[in-house]
Amino acid sequence: MSASALMFYILSAFILGAGLLAVTTRKIFRSAIWLLFSLTGIAGLYFWLQMEFVAAVQIVVYVGGIVVLIIFSIFLTQRSGMELPVPARGRILFSALAALAGFALAFTLIMGYHFQPWEGGAPLQGGMLAAGAAAGPVEAGGASIGNIGTQLLSADQGGYLLPFEVVSLLLLAAMIGCIVIAMKVKSADK
Amino acid sequence: MFSIEHITHLIDAWLYGNLPPTLALLIECLIVGLAAITLFAVLGLVLVLMERKVSAHMQIRLGPNRVGPGGMFQTVADTLKLAMKEGLTPDGADKFLFNLAPYLVIVVSMMILAPVAFAKGVQLWDLNIGVLYVTAISSLSVIGILMAGWASNNKYSLLGAMRSGAQIVSYELSAGMSLISIVVLTGSLRISDIIASQQNGWWLFKGHIPAVISFAIFIIAVTAETNRAPFDLAEAESELTAGFHTEYSGMKFALFFLAEYVNIFIVCAIAATLFLGGWMPLHIGNWAGFNHVMDYIPSSIWFVGKVFSLIFLIMWFRWTFPRLRIDQLLRLEWKYLLPISMLNLLLMTLIAINGWHF
Amino acid sequence: MAFLNKYISDVFGAVRSLLKGMRLTGYYFTHRREIITQQYPDNKEQMHLPERFRGEVVMTHDANNEHACTGCTACELACPNATIKIITKFDISPEGKKKKALDTFVYHLELCTMCNLCIEACPTDAIKMAQTFEHSVTDRSQLTKKLNKPGSKIREGIE
Repeated sequence: MSASALMFYILSAFILGAGLLAVTTRKIFRSAIWLLFSLTGIAGLYFWLQMEFVAAVQIVVYVGGIVVLIIFSIFLTQRSGMELPVPARGRILFSALAALAGFALAFTLIMGYHFQPWEGGAPLQGGMLAAGAAAGPVEAGGASIGNIGTQLLSADQGGYLLPFEVVSLLLLAAMIGCIVIAMKVKSADK
Repeated sequence: MFSIEHITHLIDAWLYGNLPPTLALLIECLIVGLAAITLFAVLGLVLVLMERKVSAHMQIRLGPNRVGPGGMFQTVADTLKLAMKEGLTPDGADKFLFNLAPYLVIVVSMMILAPVAFAKGVQLWDLNIGVLYVTAISSLSVIGILMAGWASNNKYSLLGAMRSGAQIVSYELSAGMSLISIVVLTGSLRISDIIASQQNGWWLFKGHIPAVISFAIFIIAVTAETNRAPFDLAEAESELTAGFHTEYSGMKFALFFLAEYVNIFIVCAIAATLFLGGWMPLHIGNWAGFNHVMDYIPSSIWFVGKVFSLIFLIMWFRWTFPRLRIDQLLRLEWKYLLPISMLNLLLMTLIAINGWHF
Repeated sequence: MAFLNKYISDVFGAVRSLLKGMRLTGYYFTHRREIITQQYPDNKEQMHLPERFRGEVVMTHDANNEHACTGCTACELACPNATIKIITKFDISPEGKKKKALDTFVYHLELCTMCNLCIEACPTDAIKMAQTFEHSVTDRSQLTKKLNKPGSKIREGIE
């Protein structure tokens, strides 16, 4: 087993273990932290795949954004320091079934896709100390940030301009909604 | 001529020549890790002493002057004291998270160190999204603070952690915007490309006034992100005893303290890289003679000099300005820094498209 | 438009005032002679105490062993923590009239906060703040002092 494969297994075990702990722990804050570790591990997996951009976005969005939001809502919730009660057996059974169904769906989808064998050599290359020398990421693989940017804003075949605009419209609506909620209404009698 | 690049290349060639690649890689990782830890220790000692001396002289005091010549070994003595102290864990604390938090904070600072170019050719990891990587990883550091605040089971810690969270999440935006304005000029997120683009002058001078504005905004925002005065609401001794690290003692406290100083070093290194050309000597346009003279100063000295002058600037802020209130802090970000940096980014894009920069 | 003007002038005003502050601290940083730290006890000989330094309350006596205290107890009333206790007596003047005068000025140094209120209250400037500050003793009772010297009397002409 090469070092690269070993790394993959370590990362995967970390992700799965943290994910399992996230759903089994009875302290809500610990649950959030385990989720965070799981998501960070996924970012690590992206780094391992040399998809640095996706990894960075994973960290910015999930870790820096969503988990921080979750932690904030835990902080603002009353009695969130208590241990959660053990859920009813029916509920455990149902959630296990739901997880299993999700896993089955993902598994069939992955199995149905025909992966091409990797031809670029070991993903981890030498030259950690002298980085300029050897560490050349897979620019040609189409995952460079320039390609992603062009693709995201291109109106050609396979471009993502329309979804991009739709999403930005959605975010704009959400932002205006926030402002409307937070705005102080001036009383009419003044 | 002496250069660190030369030495690293020699080590690299020797290891790969004499050992199997996996082992060589492992040993290199080990060397890099040891180098990073050594750097952390030295930075901690030097920066704490520098802070105490700078603060003393700004407040018309003398500062530490008893241990060693001019108080040089004061921080060494402090470290020894901290190392010998008992690392207390409070009874009501969430013990696992309480003990994990300081290590998380330190590990995050270590991770940001990866894309920093210390000298010509001395960089741990020149990845193609360098700047984005830095912003992404630095958003992780808030987690350690939130964790420490929650796990301490102390109301001051929790309040400090919440303030710190609100602060870091807000100020990340304007820091990111100012970084992007330089990325717009360079057209690349890779740190080595950004440094190479400053061959004929630093972006601070080449990018006209918008570059100066984004530099100022970046310095303000990173001061807030590293939780330093005047934005040290997370600690705020007078209100929250010590904020998120109220319950920490001994080496665990020292790790938080060290992380603060290392984070200052890193953000200053990033600022120096983007705005002041990293290890690039001061070059002015086509003055070949002047540029040649400047090249005689080694690149590592240029880098360290720039970083330390920025650190001095941030210390100067700390010992001059009073602490902001939380509402003032958020107003500064959302009403002033963010709109200005957005407008500035627009201006910068205009400059970059029309090629008005030098 | 007025809003925009105010916004811009706010930003510039803030930057200017911050720079002003930084100029002062920068001046202190670069000028070592401004440092006011006294490296006591290394500099015991050449130590310079500021004029308004307050060490303890003393009563001034002139060459004839005369003081200016009338025993009016204004200082005792002004003291916030009962540091001063004035014991008075009655002198018989040559004309045979009885006159109130100071017997003992008791000063509890251990209670004193050097607030200077007694000195301000004194109508005849009989007491003042001294610059001595090495007050450590081995027994608490030594801190209770009698300020008027033995055999001293009030100066002529002070009412």
